[in-house]
Amino acid sequence: MKKIEVDARGQACPKPVIMTKKELDNIEEGIIITIVDNEVAKNNVSKLANSLGFEYKVDEGENEYLITIIKGKGEVKEEEKAKGAVSGDKVVVFSSNTMGKGSEELGKVLIKSFIYTLTETNPYPATLIFYNGGVHLTCEGSPVLEDLKKLEDEGVEIISCGTCLDYFNIKDKLQVGQISNMYTIYDKMANAGNIINIG
Amino acid sequence: MKDKEYGIITFKSTHFAIKAESVFGSQSINTRTIPVPREISRSCGLAIRFDLDDMEKVDQIISEFNLDIDGIYKVIKGDNLNKVEKLN
Repeated sequence: MKKIEVDARGQACPKPVIMTKKELDNIEEGIIITIVDNEVAKNNVSKLANSLGFEYKVDEGENEYLITIIKGKGEVKEEEKAKGAVSGDKVVVFSSNTMGKGSEELGKVLIKSFIYTLTETNPYPATLIFYNGGVHLTCEGSPVLEDLKKLEDEGVEIISCGTCLDYFNIKDKLQVGQISNMYTIYDKMANAGNIINIG
Repeated sequence: MKDKEYGIITFKSTHFAIKAESVFGSQSINTRTIPVPREISRSCGLAIRFDLDDMEKVDQIISEFNLDIDGIYKVIKGDNLNKVEKLN
């Protein structure tokens, strides 16, 4: 069987998963050995193998993990192929801490319901972007922190607009993800294959 | 909260669901508002999720605050579909 090594050491999430998925897609059958240097990446690559229905094992080395994935011929069903830990190019943008207009009370409930649904649906989006009132969702007191932390653990990138955190004076209250600027926000949107706007 | 098995309460109207959310929010048990799982087609679309260990307390709160509920279900998570049993 063909053996391919994927060295994903030093790569930020979700890169190791994307690199592994790419090699798996390229081969009909064979063995992919992905090397990563952190536990989160190890878990995410393992989850990918698991979600695709491939046999895999994890070996722990010094400061590194080797995930060996065996892809057998005809093993994957089309339906399972579509499932993965993180979808490479889907971005969800939150411009407000409520969902839709009409009732603020309802909007607050809907956004909780929406973000919960994100945690329940595979594949996860690659990136969540929060700006303007949306940054309240990533800060202390937000009702969706638990879900956002779960998504971050799964390899979803979470970005809050720094200007906005500063405007609301809550920069020190950020609880999940990274602070970013407009260049990064535009870059993520420009390179997204699919943007979902919530606000 | 336990992820494999949990209970949910459904409502006939969104207003009842939002009222229940605020009632449960002021109680000592852990609950959250979630969309009604696809496996249950009826009811308004919002449900309260709770730990099955708190079942007794949940029943107590529903009657104490006179909450207008549609049903109580047990959800067992599956890979693709969830298994749902009606409890009440």
